Amino acid sequence: MRTRTTILTRLQSNNRALAQPTTWQSRQGFNDLAEQFVTALTAVHGEPHLAPNLEGATAQLGAILAELGAQRVVANNEAPIADLNLPTRWPHLQWHIVGETAGDLREFCTYADVGLSSGIAAIAETGSVVIHSGSAQSRVATLFPPVHIVLLPTSRLTTDLFTFTATHKNTHLANGTLPAAMTFISGPSKTADIEQTMAIGVHGPKRFIVILYRE
Amino acid sequence: MTTTTAQFRERATIALEDVRLQQALDGATGRFATARQAALAAIPWADELRDHFKAIRAATLANLAEHLQTFERQATAVGTHVHWAQDGAEACAIVTEIAQRHGVTLATKSKSMATEEIHLNAALAKAGVRPVETDLGEWIIQLAEEPPSHIIAPAIHKTKEQVAELFERESGRPQSAADIPALTAEARRMLREQFLAAGMGISGGNLAVAETGSVVLVTNEGNGRMVTTAPRVHVAIIGIEKIAPTWDDAAVWLSLLARSATGQPMSIYTTVITGPKRTAALDGLPDPDGPEEVHVVLLDNGRSPLVGSKYEEVLQCIRCGACLNVCPVYREAGGHAYGSPYSGPIGAVISPLLFGLDKYPALPHASSLCGACQDVCPARIDLPRMLLELRADLVTQGIAHGSEAVLEGSVSLAMRSERVWALLMGMGRVGQRPLLKNGKLALPERFNPGGERPLPALAKKSFHDLWRDGEV
Amino acid sequence: MTANRIALFVTCMVDQIMPEIGVATTRLLRRAGFTVEFPMAQTCCGQPFFNSGFRAQALPLAQRTIEILEPYEAIVIPGGSCTGMIRVEYPHLLQDNPRWYYAARRLAAKTFELSEFLCKLESDDWRQSTANCQETVTYHDSCHMNRILGLHDEPRRLLQAVGYTIAEMEEADRCCGFGGVFSIRLPEVSNAMTAEKLRQGRATSATTLITADPGCLMQMRGMRRNDDTIQIKHLAVALEEAITGKPWSME
Ligand code: SF4
Repeated sequence: MRTRTTILTRLQSNNRALAQPTTWQSRQGFNDLAEQFVTALTAVHGEPHLAPNLEGATAQLGAILAELGAQRVVANNEAPIADLNLPTRWPHLQWHIVGETAGDLREFCTYADVGLSSGIAAIAETGSVVIHSGSAQSRVATLFPPVHIVLLPTSRLTTDLFTFTATHKNTHLANGTLPAAMTFISGPSKTADIEQTMAIGVHGPKRFIVILYRE
Repeated sequence: MTTTTAQFRERATIALEDVRLQQALDGATGRFATARQAALAAIPWADELRDHFKAIRAATLANLAEHLQTFERQATAVGTHVHWAQDGAEACAIVTEIAQRHGVTLATKSKSMATEEIHLNAALAKAGVRPVETDLGEWIIQLAEEPPSHIIAPAIHKTKEQVAELFERESGRPQSAADIPALTAEARRMLREQFLAAGMGISGGNLAVAETGSVVLVTNEGNGRMVTTAPRVHVAIIGIEKIAPTWDDAAVWLSLLARSATGQPMSIYTTVITGPKRTAALDGLPDPDGPEEVHVVLLDNGRSPLVGSKYEEVLQCIRCGACLNVCPVYREAGGHAYGSPYSGPIGAVISPLLFGLDKYPALPHASSLCGACQDVCPARIDLPRMLLELRADLVTQGIAHGSEAVLEGSVSLAMRSERVWALLMGMGRVGQRPLLKNGKLALPERFNPGGERPLPALAKKSFHDLWRDGEV
Repeated sequence: MTANRIALFVTCMVDQIMPEIGVATTRLLRRAGFTVEFPMAQTCCGQPFFNSGFRAQALPLAQRTIEILEPYEAIVIPGGSCTGMIRVEYPHLLQDNPRWYYAARRLAAKTFELSEFLCKLESDDWRQSTANCQETVTYHDSCHMNRILGLHDEPRRLLQAVGYTIAEMEEADRCCGFGGVFSIRLPEVSNAMTAEKLRQGRATSATTLITADPGCLMQMRGMRRNDDTIQIKHLAVALEEAITGKPWSME
């Protein structure tokens, strides 16, 4: 407590009236947010797909899971994933639906082949998907498995960080609504720490696949 | 640690003679600098955005106490424990106390300059807690027991052969240096075990957002997410100056950070931590995972006295490392020459300010004052000006060498009279004769190592003489 | 630029070590139609002391330099670093004393680096329209001239005006390693910086590396080998050579 007072007192004695500048307004303008998102994510070794609708996106997802030879899939139980009845659709796979399936989530994620989630928003400029933690939104589900697949409607696309903060100031970014963890994901995990040579997949997923669909 | 001129020269010489390191330094800094330039060129309003960011940082520091209190209030409201640490010892005590309370013996760490600054790893080890660095570069230098040599690429001085050897020793299995992806996969495997076993995760914080009490961590590897997700307890150590009052401010910060650091529009993972896992999330149900306890240590360690001083501007730094990559001194001497976790231009300014000018008397002079750093700094910090101020402080505080003061004083005195100066130079013209070699002046080895750069001799006739004699 | 009576401030380094730069500068200015004066009381602008932190030792030199140069309509300096000292640092150094501060500001407003001065002239008498040399050169941006004074295009424009072709270095604005006392304090690093600069210079198709700053010139010449493939020259000398069509001579 003494330290706190010392620091604050010292700072207060040097307080100056200097107003924070007014909010920076986004100057970015893209003709097509989805197209820009695809370009940006591709540039960072992410794998974007664009589907005409949710049905198409689901089919795309099925194809990707088959191609991966996935067997164990963990899914965050959020829209639109929650409505797809994945375990009934693809019963040959072993599923863990967060918040629904009994059993050790962390253990499952440790050996899962794919983590599936949606996102609260996606940023077109940088090809980033924004995910929240929540009762049905596991953090390890999108982190432990070697592949992370995101299913996201194009309506959640926003231009850049500035339009994101402007749009979500009172929803996702307000006190009380901000979850324990919010993560902007902009591609597969990577490093260049050994001789500046890029290597994909250090601690996080090696593949980051985003299936965008129009509504 | 200390860095005198002799120490700087000695360490720099080691780096200069290491051909491999020189290539690595050239390659890494060149690539970062080029990528940064391209990333900023891609946003035509980059210069205005930087001005705006500077204004944000300046205003934030002018009201720092208020923002810190807001942060504390909001963080506490979501269940984060907020601690204040005056110096490194206090910060280390706070962290080790938390570890011991939870019976932690293994802690995973994501890359953090603040913990380097306070030597947290040593304190943890002493308290019986094994810290494991999880940023690949940090881990490599931890295995090698060396300090980082770059703010964002701590192991640029290591070769893949050295890395393979370190991994071999650690894993007990043979490793192939030729295969960097395989080495990376091996690191993933070894560190994954540590993530799962660790009782505590320790991170720094790239920034903290006051209005929501959040800590923001930026990584490319995903270790920042691991450290803040897998263990039961998460502790973040963050300098008191790294505050963004609002998300609007944070957005500007994040727009410039990765672009300036690595030239990426955005790092792969930007993780925003706002409290421990919820026992009742928005829908009233508990979060399935995440740490049960989150602690934030607000670290002063020499920062608060800078607020309101002529050095306040340096607290606008966001540790992007851009200034290192363009610094011609850093690019030759490497990071270890500075003898501080902070190297390059920012290190030359901040090490003496945080750790004592008397301990780092060489650093204010470890610059040719070329100004390349200020050109690229996202906050446009006038680092050359601060180096000049520090040099003046060295003189007024009597840290500069006495013999130097005598020399500077007498030359200045002589130059105050053109006659005295001309007389002195006239004597020099005669006096230099025995020292001349091929018309050049060879200074003693100490000032001219290897005789590499002889000085030109004084001209036969000065310009003054030529003018007076009507020869111009 | 209407001033007819201009003062030449040669810098201490040119005065004592490389007076030919002062001679070349004078010739350029005279050719442009100016009456060049050389205030004999000048010594040093004080920068070496200021940059080493010895401000009390720099101060009297700054004050006397102001007094010496005050009477002239314009001051021309064949060096970016010293020009930067007078233009930017003097007002800083003297900010606590209003009288000196204003004197410093007044002087700053009429002090010019050589290439900057020549580029401001309406006429191009300085180069005689016949000048047309065929040589390819490369230009090193001295740090203070480039970053403090923002003079990047001016020296290049002059070089091209007399016929030189410019082959740019990889990093023309990378420091040459001089940095004043830095070059003696940390000679190993300083030399490595210079070696890199020269390497980049040699890697171009240029036969001569040109700089507008006496400090950089001295530094780079110091590291140049006798059998080097590249020459190193000051801007003023290079311009004179192109204009006269003859190798430099003091005659
Ligand atoms: S001083 Fe500026 S460029 Fe250097 S690390 Fe800090 S923010 Fe980045």
